[in-house]
Amino acid sequence: MVSDTYVRTRQRVSNLQVVLPLIEENMVADQSWRHWLGELALGNPPEMHRVMIPVALDATAYNMPAALREMNYLRPTGLPLSEPTAGKAFENVVRSLLKQITEAMCRVMLPRPAISSAGAAPLPDAPLPKVNVFLSHAKQDGTEPARRLRDYIYSQTQLTAFFDENDIAFGSKFSRVIQSGLSASDTAAFIAVRSAAYGSRPWCRRESSLFRRPHLLENSVAGQAERWFVYPSVVVEAMKAGTSSIGVSEFGNSTLIRWADDVANLEELIVTTVIRDAMLASFHSALGSSIPSNANQIIINTLPDPTTLLHIPRIRAGAPHDLLYPGRGLSGLELAILSDLFPALTFRSFEEALL
Amino acid sequence: MTSVSKYRSTAIADNVVAFSISYQRENMLARGMGLEHLRELLVRLARPILRQGASLAYGGNWKDTEDNFVFPLLRVVSAEQEDSGDSGLQIGKLYNHSPWPWYLDITPKIEAQWINCCRVVRITQRMAGLSDADILPDASADQADARTLFNKAITLSAMRRLMMQEMWIDNPDVPQPERIPPVTARILLGGKADSYAGFLPGIFEEALVTLQSECPVYILGGFGGAAEVLANALLASGDERPRELTLDWHRANNPALVTLLDGARKFAVPTHLASVENSLDALFGFVLKARADLPGTLRTGLSDPETRELLRTSNIANAVHLVRAGLMNSKKLPQLPA
Repeated sequence: MVSDTYVRTRQRVSNLQVVLPLIEENMVADQSWRHWLGELALGNPPEMHRVMIPVALDATAYNMPAALREMNYLRPTGLPLSEPTAGKAFENVVRSLLKQITEAMCRVMLPRPAISSAGAAPLPDAPLPKVNVFLSHAKQDGTEPARRLRDYIYSQTQLTAFFDENDIAFGSKFSRVIQSGLSASDTAAFIAVRSAAYGSRPWCRRESSLFRRPHLLENSVAGQAERWFVYPSVVVEAMKAGTSSIGVSEFGNSTLIRWADDVANLEELIVTTVIRDAMLASFHSALGSSIPSNANQIIINTLPDPTTLLHIPRIRAGAPHDLLYPGRGLSGLELAILSDLFPALTFRSFEEALL
Repeated sequence: MTSVSKYRSTAIADNVVAFSISYQRENMLARGMGLEHLRELLVRLARPILRQGASLAYGGNWKDTEDNFVFPLLRVVSAEQEDSGDSGLQIGKLYNHSPWPWYLDITPKIEAQWINCCRVVRITQRMAGLSDADILPDASADQADARTLFNKAITLSAMRRLMMQEMWIDNPDVPQPERIPPVTARILLGGKADSYAGFLPGIFEEALVTLQSECPVYILGGFGGAAEVLANALLASGDERPRELTLDWHRANNPALVTLLDGARKFAVPTHLASVENSLDALFGFVLKARADLPGTLRTGLSDPETRELLRTSNIANAVHLVRAGLMNSKKLPQLPA
């Protein structure tokens, strides 16, 4: 069940090392590269978690030393190129690679429970489970955007999607399955297809409210800052022209993308955006965990918005705190509004905190 | 940077069996055989060697022509590596010693494609003992002037000599130098007795460096070419010197050699390179010695009749059987499971 006390392990930026070798024939044929990449693939340095994500830029990439070639490589589409570094084809390859890297990094960085739902700690080398994207939509307005997003996720990515038509077994309790999908440890992101009816559908509102609720990280300890994790969401604006709807405050500062049936690669844009945001949310969480802190601080992994902050009990209690958030700082207008609403809070960006 | 050691290990994994082989169409046709027979012979010889944990060596170029045996050998290595899977069987690889300028044809793509099957060992002009002043730029490799032909021949001879020595290659930023094991046995067949490119016919020069290194030599004379010439010389009695083992014969039958020898008079010759005449004398010295003790001189690990049979036979199955038996005796290669 999702709650304020739902806890996740936190990762530090300083103890995670991601190696992304872009492997092509020159690297494969070079004994020095072979030696060092083989060494890197063999194990973790002390106090460090190393993740290798090899990228195959040509077919020879699979001839790297065994420790590396046993891994599943990222394989950007559109290779090989006739023109090495120019033109539309090159841009497509880069886009495909960025999409795959984003997805892989999200999978690596997503905080996972130290103990699984079955009560067992995962094995050190166990493959990371797939990242799940929760699709929230109001059926009353049709299922076209949500279906297309689901189809894209299953055909073009290594993600999974929670889509009520597929994931609620006939005869099962609707509310329990949705809550379970929202709180699953692999659910990293949320896409709300906001049609005209969305704001007035109780279950849609409940889904977005539950998902946007911040989670206290389990490594928050006495004498240090409380660290909160917020999962990202993308709102797909799918209202037909001229229709009206009530606002949805639970969306907070979610990214908004306008839907159109005839725009090419829109599904890719939406899914990549939400996964990129999920990766950044994890990164910012890890970065926040690396900041020296004290008990008067609250660290959050996203830009603050009133709805999110009101879920944090210490803030609701009105005690003075420093609120640390990622990025370089909020605009003057945003700071003024937040300071009015939360006079006991001092808002400081990570960059300010690290100065 | 590459260095060479005198020391030799006898561990099975250190065994490297070199193939000196080339396709002589007329010779093979005269025996009712074609290229496919030669390829079959090669595969039947190479496969058990690999399965026994030894490696192969072949000093050929990488031109994708029908009479080049690099690719058939690579395919055998690749297939054996795939077949071994999780069996725990240690499959050897191919060492391809490639002299300047041949190695210029080996692109990173080609090397990368075969990297797990083959270690390319580039023999540079410097490694061949040419001084900095005499080293030619790669761009001039296609020239047909005396200097270029001379440097090519010098490097080719150096390749044959260096194959017999342990080498250590310093790869940039890698803590330990990489060891290239020496050739420990050699199988010879076919080859040109005339119209060859270097200072000596490849079969002759490779037989000589192997004998000088006291390693087993398996000469399959029944398939013609320079190997047949050498086999006949070994099988003869008395002290008669075949004319193919004389400088005069080669001068008369290989105009390219005359050009090279003219060059040798004009250019500085690396100190380790013996003259053609001395090399032919040395080879004939081994021939004379072998006439008195054939299996002992060739170190075949076979009996005298078996060694004679090996030198004569044109039966593929027989040749394979004899080479395998000899290698198991001489190099202590393990018996393969039935």
